[in-house]
Amino acid sequence: MEEILRMEHITKRFGDMYANRDINLDIRKGEVHTLLGENGAGKSTLMNVLIGLYQPTEGKIFLNGQEVRIDSPAKAVQLGIGMVHQHFMLVEAMTVFENIILGDRQAKGVFIQKEQRRREILALAEKYGLDVQLDKLITDISVGEQQRVEILKALYRGAELLILDEPTAALTDLEVEGLFAIIGKLTGEGKSVVFISHKMREVLRISDRITILRAGETVCTVDRANASAGELASLMMGRELAPSHYEKKENPERQVVVLEHVDYNKTAKHSGLSDVSLTIGAGEILGIAGVDGNGQSQLAQLITGVITPDAGRVDLKNSKVAKFMPQAFIEEGVSHIPEDRNKMGLVGDMSVKENILLKSTGLPRFSRFGGMFLKKKAMKDYALEMQEKYDIRCASIEQEARSLSGGNQQKIILARELEARPDILIAVHPTRGLDIGATRFIHDTMIEARESGCGVLLISADFDEILEMSDRIIVMFEGQVMGEYSGKNPPVEEISLAMAGK
Amino acid sequence: MKNTNKLVNILVPLASVLLAFLIGCIIMLALGANPLVALQNLWTGAFGNIRNLGTTLSRATPLIFTGLCACFAYRCGVFNLGGEGQFIMGSIVCCVIATQSGITGFPGILLCLVAGALAGGLWAMIPGLLKIYRGQNEMIISIMLNYVATLLMGVFYTNWLRDGSVPQTMSVPKETMLQRMFGLRFTSAFVIAVVIGLLTYYFLFYTSKGFQLRAVGLNMTAAQFNGFAVKRYILVSFIVSGAIAGIGGSAELLGTQYRLINGFASGYGFDGVSMALIGQLHPLATMLVAVFFAALRVGSTTMQAATGVPTSVSDIIQALVIVFAVAGLAMVKLPEFKAAIDKLSAKKEVK
Repeated sequence: MEEILRMEHITKRFGDMYANRDINLDIRKGEVHTLLGENGAGKSTLMNVLIGLYQPTEGKIFLNGQEVRIDSPAKAVQLGIGMVHQHFMLVEAMTVFENIILGDRQAKGVFIQKEQRRREILALAEKYGLDVQLDKLITDISVGEQQRVEILKALYRGAELLILDEPTAALTDLEVEGLFAIIGKLTGEGKSVVFISHKMREVLRISDRITILRAGETVCTVDRANASAGELASLMMGRELAPSHYEKKENPERQVVVLEHVDYNKTAKHSGLSDVSLTIGAGEILGIAGVDGNGQSQLAQLITGVITPDAGRVDLKNSKVAKFMPQAFIEEGVSHIPEDRNKMGLVGDMSVKENILLKSTGLPRFSRFGGMFLKKKAMKDYALEMQEKYDIRCASIEQEARSLSGGNQQKIILARELEARPDILIAVHPTRGLDIGATRFIHDTMIEARESGCGVLLISADFDEILEMSDRIIVMFEGQVMGEYSGKNPPVEEISLAMAGK
Repeated sequence: MKNTNKLVNILVPLASVLLAFLIGCIIMLALGANPLVALQNLWTGAFGNIRNLGTTLSRATPLIFTGLCACFAYRCGVFNLGGEGQFIMGSIVCCVIATQSGITGFPGILLCLVAGALAGGLWAMIPGLLKIYRGQNEMIISIMLNYVATLLMGVFYTNWLRDGSVPQTMSVPKETMLQRMFGLRFTSAFVIAVVIGLLTYYFLFYTSKGFQLRAVGLNMTAAQFNGFAVKRYILVSFIVSGAIAGIGGSAELLGTQYRLINGFASGYGFDGVSMALIGQLHPLATMLVAVFFAALRVGSTTMQAATGVPTSVSDIIQALVIVFAVAGLAMVKLPEFKAAIDKLSAKKEVK
């Protein structure tokens, strides 16, 4: 088969960080080529380079053997590259027809030749089996149909190469079948499809070839015929299991958190929980492994009282939770290292000192007369003590928290949450974006909390971190618990497959 | 770093004032007047002698109230643009009680102030409730309620409490009026305003609840995750903010105007918002800014009489101060500007 696109030695650097490093990719005419990789492996960056949103730092792109420079999305469209984003780019208050002709540049004259356009669109839809209702508003059609509109829009603009970013994420099983039929027709007509997905089952079914990315680099490209799920998973993870620094604990004496058949926003696979049952023991670390956006955020917010479950039972320290409010959970001894430290954890415009003391200014230690007069001296002394103890590196404790590095910001949160001597600690991506030193410090601190009897829930998209820290591992996929594994000698391959939904 | 920030926060308003005056001077030159003489007259008119100072403080009083009203709500992250309506509601209730209840003297004054606070607070509670329970935009609701309050006041001075043939209400009885101090134009209303300003400052910076309220204002999500009852803070800040304006309305009626009349309190609400913004939401700074604006207004009359420069030049200067201050504060937040400041302070540290 002839080659339609080749990306050679693509490198994309943001500051010191390499999002893509020396990536090679070639797409043939009429094939379905899958990009497979964990979060942050560089798939989206690579595709953004291809559709002209980013300029590569180094590297070349060839289209039909000719070198091209794609400096804008409009250029990409002109070259016949179309992308269907995971979150659709449609104007909801407009009709399907209007969305398809929106921004189309082949208009001649002032007026839109509506009838002619309509005929063209209908012919295209017929050819590829894209069943859409042209006069409905986007708000009134299903997600599956919206996706067909996106595909039709790309085809109408002359796409020869179609990028589908996690196209099955929002679809029902039946709609997925429909999508696969459409992909079959597209490739049958000589169009090429780049398919981005985490789901092993789908990848193995639909792809002709598979390119695996890891940590911003290409691992290899394999033919589907020669690939197995297990092999792909380990290529994607790419690791031999290193022995953990920490001793693993088993069989905790008592449970501090018990979830029974909890549902939340069940129909949303990527932002809901469906029939989740799990326990967190005193003095253990329960790791939640899984690709980002499979209900982990909701799980964390549920056990910290930010959201209320639709069904099921949540017990904290042997008593049933009646009211889901963060305050009530904090009083029960729940501490929270939230997933987004700037948005949820810190008040960026307040000082390091104020952030350390965020929850505790009402305590007699820091104020007189039930909070009516702040003891500024005591507050300052305490903040200095915490700065020392948690190694928060800042010019002054009066500095705005916003101006600190990620690691030091995280240490502020750690100081605040752990000094409350929690019985339960919910840590979500606690080391995301941090350097090795800060990561190590945060891991040690979490182990210390475990040793003092705190039950820790660790949610992380970093599989290594889960393996390193967890006494027990639970895998989540599309809001469901896929399986539970011991943290001692965990079956890595089995867990990877569970994370991919198999 | 922190100190540089503070310095910038003081320098920006000062620079905006200077720029505004500079342009004001150019306009005066164009009008054929000597700007130095005009400015000197402006100063004399506002602060030149103790009598003029009294007048300036009297003019500043309502602005302090509405300024503090805006400041308090902004600190909690919500935008109360209804200071004027709350101010008016306070004065309406005050007017009814002062003229109808027959309670006079100190008890009458106290009752009027408390009722004014209640009325303002309740009026502000409407946008507060609509925001937290229905997700409505508090700015629009509070602005719209200004018109409702103004028109309601109209019904009072044209119908219900009308005094004879003139469209104005009857006067507050002499015994209930706030007394002038030291024989000057300003009354104890000014003292009340300053006390409320100090209390606001104390609450925001010296109490645990005030601290939490500021945290809510700066990052609602983080406040919620840290267990603060965000909705309650929002509602309470609205009510308190309205109550401050409501007391202001009462005090203005009892101290200066004595009657409700067409144009009463007109513009005070938005003036207050400007004071709070230029004062960078600091209660003490807000009070200072209010006095500064009052001085420009009072002094301009003298300026006009002495040099023929129209008072509208002073209006232009006031408007320019607002424009420059707001633009300046936005500029300070630009990443490029921050980087430059960091560079500067890094250099200093090296030295």
